[in-house]
Amino acid sequence: MRRAWLVLVKDLRVLHRSPFLLGVLVAYPIVIALLVGLVAGYANAKPRVGFVDEDGLPAVIAVGGHRFHVRSTIDRVSRNVRLVRLSPKEADRELRTGKVVATITVPPGFVADLKEMVRSPTLVLRTTKGGVAPRVNQQVQALVYSLNRQLQEAYIAANLEYVRLILHGGDGSFLGRNFHVLGLDGTEQQLRELPRGPRLDRIRAFVTVARLALAQTGGALAATAHPIELKQAPEEGRTWALSAQVQAYALALTISFLTLLLAAGALAAERDENTIGRLARGLVSLGELVAAKIGLAVVVALALGMAIALLFGGIIQLGGIVGGEPWARLPLLAIGLALAGAALGGLGAFLGALAREARTASLVAVLVVLPIVFLGLVPGEIVPVAGWISDALPFAHAVRFFASALYDASPWGTLAREAAWLGALALVFGAAARLAARRLLV
Amino acid sequence: MSSPLLQAHGLGRRFGARLALAPTDLAVDAGESLALVGPNGAGKSTLLALLAGSLEPSEGRVSVADAVRVGWVPQRPAHYGRLSPRENLELFGRLEGAEDSAAGALLAEFGLPEDSQPSSALSVGNRQRLNIAIALLGRPDVLLLDEPTASLDPGQRRRLWAKVDRVREGGGAVVFATQNLDEVERHAGRVAVLRAGELVFAGPPAQYEREFAEDVFA
Repeated sequence: MRRAWLVLVKDLRVLHRSPFLLGVLVAYPIVIALLVGLVAGYANAKPRVGFVDEDGLPAVIAVGGHRFHVRSTIDRVSRNVRLVRLSPKEADRELRTGKVVATITVPPGFVADLKEMVRSPTLVLRTTKGGVAPRVNQQVQALVYSLNRQLQEAYIAANLEYVRLILHGGDGSFLGRNFHVLGLDGTEQQLRELPRGPRLDRIRAFVTVARLALAQTGGALAATAHPIELKQAPEEGRTWALSAQVQAYALALTISFLTLLLAAGALAAERDENTIGRLARGLVSLGELVAAKIGLAVVVALALGMAIALLFGGIIQLGGIVGGEPWARLPLLAIGLALAGAALGGLGAFLGALAREARTASLVAVLVVLPIVFLGLVPGEIVPVAGWISDALPFAHAVRFFASALYDASPWGTLAREAAWLGALALVFGAAARLAARRLLV
Repeated sequence: MSSPLLQAHGLGRRFGARLALAPTDLAVDAGESLALVGPNGAGKSTLLALLAGSLEPSEGRVSVADAVRVGWVPQRPAHYGRLSPRENLELFGRLEGAEDSAAGALLAEFGLPEDSQPSSALSVGNRQRLNIAIALLGRPDVLLLDEPTASLDPGQRRRLWAKVDRVREGGGAVVFATQNLDEVERHAGRVAVLRAGELVFAGPPAQYEREFAEDVFA
């Protein structure tokens, strides 16, 4: 392996003398990572939802004597969607053209149903087909849930007002009709003024029990409306940018680009410089040459990966981020970087041998690395085929190894499995590269 | 009679469906200087690359006598453009197992620049001199040269042939491909003519001149 080592040292020297190339190769994946981050950010952005008010919602509705601020409530509970007020025609057109991903229509009679409290008013939801529709469905359901919460409180307040009337008496209204209620207090007082007797005593006892029972109605109604209450604690977790997943993706993305391109370009360059023939005359075997290129990928993956990990760690420490950087796990990360570098280097060398020219090899490597990365981003549970293809490529295994090495409480199972995958892929791609390297001699 | 230093036994090479070299038998003896001539695409470079071991034959084999070292100067310079001439010589010297002093000695002998400028910045002639110097790192007994003087000036050509003659006179052998009939006349002890991948003649220069010199490149 001394001869492979000499070729590796030569490659590192050549790389060192190509600062522009190195700069571009380092900067490019970072730009891609930022773009992926923006896309991820867009994925979390509020979808545009049309809001069609066919009933002329007033700013305030009195429900059971409780003033209900409809518009401000809708604005408050629609934090996860961007509601755009549209006419029915506009909504129809924008939904067809995809300018809004859904429309919510308040049909005529909505306010009347709401005020009467006899039947449930309805909202009409229309969505587009495609990827974001389920998410919009969920968010509109959340919107309706939040509205219902607000209304339930209003209804409970209204019902409690009736209970209060029954208990203490007074003036009230229902379905637009005003009435006066004596109330249990008044009833008890009037019963006290009547001559006592066994029948009257039973009625008075009932009134006493009814007053006690009705006094508990408020709590009972609230518990029935919200059997489970969700309380949100103050935010303490990391921002998404410093999450374990983003660190793992950033590492894997950067070394995938770099190592694949370098290994492919470095092997093909041996043919471009016409040195492959000189080396292959017994100075360096094709196997040693491929090993040198894989070694180059391992060294670059280790150096760059550890630099990125230290950068993340520095930001996390300086920012006093909850959880801190798991410095003690960096040796595990280094093992993963070396294995991922070897697997990616093997794949890169294979591409370089197939392409035979450094320029073509670099282009092929760029064309190949993007699908590899994006396949790794597609959840296998959603698109199983993507998961299977991704399993045969190093990126997804590298991401899982890095995330587990840095942040899993019990990483050993995942690390062993992903290390075995990466090691096996390095061997398979290395062997394929060795076979394909014969093409370089032609 | 001593056995050949280098011998091709039914050596042939195809690139896909194209025949680059039909099965060829050829022996190179000690002290011999063999010129390979023929038009472009005749198979000269393929034969030299096969003899050098840089190309795998489709059929046949090459045998090299015990302890005989082979040096190869490919037609297109083969060195790393981002490394300086010294770094190239040191790297190939280590791979060849040459002495540490060999790189410096060849650098001086071929008048190559000592500074750290990359080889890609060298003149065409200097690149070819570096190409030849690398081939001499392993102190070869048999030197295979593929049109070695194509980009050298007359002075450099003289020095190259003097070096080549020293290898031959030291009991080694030289096989060179050329398009230059003057070089054949001056430096060849034997001539092999290739046409369309076939060895059509191998014999002394006088016979070659009688039979082929007029139309060998036709």
